[in-house]
Amino acid sequence: MRFMVIMKASEESEAGQMPSTELLAEMGKFNEELVRAGVMLAGEGLAPSSQGARVKFSGDSEPSVVDGPFAETKELIAGFWILQVRSLEEAVEWIKRVPNTDGAHHEIEIRRIFEADDFGDNLTPELRDAEAKVREQAAQN
Amino acid sequence: MRFMVLVKASEDSEAGAAPSAELIEQMGRFNTELAESGHLVQAAGLTPSSAGARLLWFDGDAEPSVVDGPFAETKELVAGVWILEGESLAEIVELMKRAPNPDRQAGTVEIRPLSAEL
Repeated sequence: MRFMVIMKASEESEAGQMPSTELLAEMGKFNEELVRAGVMLAGEGLAPSSQGARVKFSGDSEPSVVDGPFAETKELIAGFWILQVRSLEEAVEWIKRVPNTDGAHHEIEIRRIFEADDFGDNLTPELRDAEAKVREQAAQN
Repeated sequence: MRFMVLVKASEDSEAGAAPSAELIEQMGRFNTELAESGHLVQAAGLTPSSAGARLLWFDGDAEPSVVDGPFAETKELVAGVWILEGESLAEIVELMKRAPNPDRQAGTVEIRPLSAEL
């Protein structure tokens, strides 16, 4: 099973403050451990929401664009991992050990990623093949 | 530059409603286009927050508390993500304006550049 681990933003991350050298070093070690255990598929940090934008869809009209920053800091996302593990519990156990020397993270959310089998008959064999091709191409991009 | 596009959750996605055959088909076509144009790096849909958990660190705690989903604030939750490669934020905004929405649902996608340093 794959899980997306979502690290919530803080005032510091939204202000563009970089983690301390100590935290960067510990995070590097933690990520190495995830990779060695075959658990980590991806992991990235996001730039502050001031560098982002939102596209809003409202039914029939053209989508509108709103530039960042966005106010509700605690609901924003500052980074993520994609983990391959056997269960939610295993993901929770790994994430309990995320280094926190700066006291920076207060909330991390773990969510299971849909797999092709979750979609049942609506994902026809043709669509399934097309999806496999998309994945193959994306891996090369 | 790489970007993360976050699709916000809706009541339907949180209820675990299966996407319509039409949406699955249009989304498949959109992803094929993104893959062939070299933009798509990864796409993932998330199951409802009822299948997830949160870890909370309160001030002074070494160990986090674990809270099982579902989580209430539906509009702030994430229902899916794309990781895309592009030249600029404006380019990704233009791509995302064309994201399929056959059911004409109101919704928001948030586009955030990945930070190069981490």
